[in-house]
Amino acid sequence: MVGSRQRPETATVAELRPQLGLPANGRRRRRRRLPFTRRPVAEATVQVDFGFFDPKPGDFHGVKLLLRSYLGDREWDVSGFVDLILGQTTVGTVVKSESPEGEEQEEGEEEEAAASGEGGESGEAEDVGPYAVITALNLGRYGTHQCIKELKNYILEACCEDLMKKKKLQLMLSGEGAHDVGLLVCERFVNFPHQPVSPLYEGLFDEVSWATEDEPTQELRDSFRFKSYLILTRIFMTKRRVSEDDESIVYVKAEDEIFLKLCSLSFTVDLPRKEQVVPPELKGYKEMALFMVVESCKVPAFREELKSFLLED
Amino acid sequence: MAARIQFENSCEVGVFSKLTNAYCLVAIGGSENFYSAFESELADVIPVVKTSIGGTRIIGRLCAGNKNGLLLPHTTTDQELQHLRNSLPDQVVVQRIDERLSALGNCIACNDHVALAHTDLDRETEELIADVLGVEVFRQTIAGNILVGSYCVISNRGGLVHPHTSIEDLDELSTLLQVPLVAGTVNRGSEVIAAGLTVNDWTAFCGSDTTATELSVIESVFKLREAQPSAIVDEMRKSLIDTYV
Repeated sequence: MVGSRQRPETATVAELRPQLGLPANGRRRRRRRLPFTRRPVAEATVQVDFGFFDPKPGDFHGVKLLLRSYLGDREWDVSGFVDLILGQTTVGTVVKSESPEGEEQEEGEEEEAAASGEGGESGEAEDVGPYAVITALNLGRYGTHQCIKELKNYILEACCEDLMKKKKLQLMLSGEGAHDVGLLVCERFVNFPHQPVSPLYEGLFDEVSWATEDEPTQELRDSFRFKSYLILTRIFMTKRRVSEDDESIVYVKAEDEIFLKLCSLSFTVDLPRKEQVVPPELKGYKEMALFMVVESCKVPAFREELKSFLLED
Repeated sequence: MAARIQFENSCEVGVFSKLTNAYCLVAIGGSENFYSAFESELADVIPVVKTSIGGTRIIGRLCAGNKNGLLLPHTTTDQELQHLRNSLPDQVVVQRIDERLSALGNCIACNDHVALAHTDLDRETEELIADVLGVEVFRQTIAGNILVGSYCVISNRGGLVHPHTSIEDLDELSTLLQVPLVAGTVNRGSEVIAAGLTVNDWTAFCGSDTTATELSVIESVFKLREAQPSAIVDEMRKSLIDTYV
């Protein structure tokens, strides 16, 4: 990268607690500050810091914006879904940017924040909405919520072609089976840089394994022992026969390619024409919804591949 | 009474609709639920007109109007202009204006008697607002924001403004507008009031994220609980056409 310095990922949160203005407590939960360089079109390098935060109620509007088209045009209880995500603070991350000017503002803001008795956290990242959100929701634990019921219906309706797959999904999504399934949600803005993506997933899977030990009740601890993850995402496919037999696929999110390779079940669904948003450079491609089930035993392999996959610039 | 509705999955109903005492404009392309929510409340009383402005669905933010008139930006096509002229009551003057700030809904907040305008609007536009809408125009800011049309919603009975408006500003505006004002939010803490709410003298529509507290503030400041459409329509009976095709 032109003119950039490689800065090592910041070490433990405990060391940074005083600087971050966080109260000292015993929880492993954290606020990580990971600096990344985003390369813009011009030849100047802009240093952008992304902060990883626990979801909190104040993020409602930003996260809702990211999840607005999660089920496409379908009208469903998005607000309820966002509330579920924000309510689960132990597993889940919201990514906000900390602007470069934040350095100068910080002193003044920290003084004000100290005077008003707030933590440093609310002073800095307040104004800039979330750029990305990631979480894993237990479909059994939240199964009674309206939004999860609507989501399950949407998935089962979408999978109408292959009856075998539909049966498998039905077993996974209803009754006891649902308690072993985690809905893996990762939404981010289209121009989100690729560098923070691997740490984002690392963080999520770490949090899931910490939760199986740290949660206060046995029930909660068990709710994070996912046997499989369910993923809803979008891809572009073309029917044009290229030299290979496979249909050529363009992945909106790069990690979906790895998930697809490792998944135990997947199917695609045509989107209604109204929902198609195809950029001009992808003429001839069709946007499709992709559903995948990935066994949790494949997660370590995914983590390895993701690290090297995204390092190729 | 105030109703909570959604346009597709968006709670910004004030972006996709414009409600006045004489007519209601609704964006095309949304689900039938959105349109029928307005129809069921209003169909017997005032026309509900589906339209686009400049080919877009964000009609609530592009136009400004009241019972006397409707102002449209220069981006409005001739067909849209004709369609609106045909569909709205004759008493409503529909005028397309040439103003650099084309999002008139963001720049102008008005009721049937008075209007607040963006500080940078042309002098000609200000005169047109006064003529077409039959109002007195005041150039103001709301909580330091120049987009008065976005951060405040007023009817003939009350108004809701940006939550960070100071008490002094509230008093000043209230005196200017001659209606009671309240600083508040809509759609679960959103400060962009006009995007989340559209209101006339007897009914209001707000986004489905609006909390019960916000809803009760809206109903009380706009005096919607006592309001019945028949009382208001009887006053305006002469200016409304009898049948709508």
